[in-house]
Amino acid sequence: MRNLIRLGLRRLGLIRPRLIPMNFSLFWSARFWRSLQPALDGSALLAWGALLWKYWLSGQLQLLIHPNYFGLVAITGTLLLLLGGLRWGLWLKSLRKLKTSLPPAESVQHLTLFPIGWASSLLLIVALISFWVPPTVLSAQVALQRGVSETLPLTQLSPQAFRGNIKPENRTLIDWIRTLNAYPEPDAYTGQKGKITGFVVHLPHLPPNYLLLSRFVLTCCAVDAYPVGIPIKLTGDRSAYPPDTWLSVEGEMLTESLPFDSQTLKAIPTQKRQLVLVAQSIQRVPTPTDPYSY
Amino acid sequence: MVQLHSAYTLFLSLLVEAFPFLLIGVLLSSSLLVLIDEGKLIRFLPKNPIIGALVGSCAGFLFPVCECGNVPVARRLLMQGLPTSMAIAFLLAAPTFNPIVIWSTWVAFRGQPEIVIYRIVFSLAIAMIISLIFSRQSDPRPLLQPLLAKRLSLLPVKACPPPYSKKGVSKTGHSTTGYNPTENYPLLQSGTFLLNKTGNPLRLDGNTAAMAVLSPQGVRQRTSRFVLFVENVVQELRELGGMLIIGSAIAASIQIFVPREWILNLGQGTFSSILAMMLLACLVSICSTVDSFFALSFAATFTTSSLLAFLVLGPMIDLKSVGLLLSIFKPRIILYLFFLAAQLTFLAALCHSYFL
Repeated sequence: MRNLIRLGLRRLGLIRPRLIPMNFSLFWSARFWRSLQPALDGSALLAWGALLWKYWLSGQLQLLIHPNYFGLVAITGTLLLLLGGLRWGLWLKSLRKLKTSLPPAESVQHLTLFPIGWASSLLLIVALISFWVPPTVLSAQVALQRGVSETLPLTQLSPQAFRGNIKPENRTLIDWIRTLNAYPEPDAYTGQKGKITGFVVHLPHLPPNYLLLSRFVLTCCAVDAYPVGIPIKLTGDRSAYPPDTWLSVEGEMLTESLPFDSQTLKAIPTQKRQLVLVAQSIQRVPTPTDPYSY
Repeated sequence: MVQLHSAYTLFLSLLVEAFPFLLIGVLLSSSLLVLIDEGKLIRFLPKNPIIGALVGSCAGFLFPVCECGNVPVARRLLMQGLPTSMAIAFLLAAPTFNPIVIWSTWVAFRGQPEIVIYRIVFSLAIAMIISLIFSRQSDPRPLLQPLLAKRLSLLPVKACPPPYSKKGVSKTGHSTTGYNPTENYPLLQSGTFLLNKTGNPLRLDGNTAAMAVLSPQGVRQRTSRFVLFVENVVQELRELGGMLIIGSAIAASIQIFVPREWILNLGQGTFSSILAMMLLACLVSICSTVDSFFALSFAATFTTSSLLAFLVLGPMIDLKSVGLLLSIFKPRIILYLFFLAAQLTFLAALCHSYFL
């Protein structure tokens, strides 16, 4: 009987001939993993497909990537679900065959970096965690960290979106930044009314009665989101508005000299004349569902 | 905690953006594995080494595979009589110069289209230069891994010098006559190999793989091809996806947790930024289809030249591909390739930062 089993194993390529008799628990565990691999692959693919669909349907995709690629993500999710289903189907089919005949030579193993089951487990675990932990809106701290950008893609990217003749009070924060990029002289806008929405960033190099109302602009995905912002002059101290609070600020534009560069949000040694919104009314607003601009 | 959550969001954003491109790449390369007969292609190869290098570099448009998929393809092509220099050009340029990679680079760097263009130009130039250097060596055997070389010398008519002879190139079909060494040495056959538990290699293409996948009884050709396709897609997706997860985790953590001053000091110096990104390119084995998204996370802090260095060198050499390359070349040759590619990339990046 024992010999018969060993002969079977040899045919399966699971043990070498003329070796010490196999350690059976090891054998079972290795075989266990290998037989589980297709199911693991299938589950990982299904989980990722479902995750992409979940992000797409729940609108959380907006927190992650540019809307241009939503369709691509939805298609990918569908394909992954299909592939995962196929993989499971093939596996179940092979299991059914296993009962009647020798199992297919699935003891094959690709020459790769990862041990068996490792990569699929990683994929599966990450997908499962992502089901529980939702993505977040990038914080003011990230804005400070990002601060510098070597180029300002804003001007190159959306010239067609630039509308110069919007009424000042209807301009969004991004419209203001675009307008300023097109014609940077702050005096041209002094006295105009402004009403903008964004989140609070405390710039350490600004006096305490200033805060920066900021928004992230996405060109591809959250990784390259870069912050733009307009300084707000408050009557009191900025500590009343902690970082990451979303505010809608109404007021009047004014030119002031501040020691920072409004394009890079970086401290500069000299004072620079720039446009400031003097707040007349400040309203706290909930975090919008589409916090990023494009 | 907030920082951790931000890093996690960036990590997810990289994954979600990169996954579609990874899937497209894998689907294409797998369908080519099943559909294309390389033997026929080789018959149309040019004989001039310069044009040959160019054609080899541009072959990425026929085989849109990233750097992990191109080694098996190059190996198969070599076995069917492709000159070594062209194989090298293909190995170095194909992971960059193919439609999917160009598309994903474009998506990532829409704001800086010059990165897309320079990435292509530099990769092509470097691949061609290295290919020309190796084309001086007309006998491929000293370069190749001993088993592969042995196979070539056992089939003198098929693939051995002169490599550009019409005779050598035209007779590229499957060996049907005479002594067939592949019967005795299965590893001498071309293709991707699977090792079973006993260490016996199985070939992963054509019918052999289908046989490996399905049970020997009642194999139907069409289903077996389809199964092979699915198996290959899942397998590549799994491996590359695992790599992508690790790479994204690294990129997101560097962006959030490493102090900004520290990165800026490194990233704004001309030399230090290029060297740092080249080192990163070798260490991070992220697939070339999606490495532009990885590079994108450094766009705010590192110089454009250093990003280019990363995008050019990354697909040519990284830790993961060394293991695969060892199945083709001798270690010494891989070292040469590596140093040549690294030096040329460094030069190209320097040129970019000073003149362009």
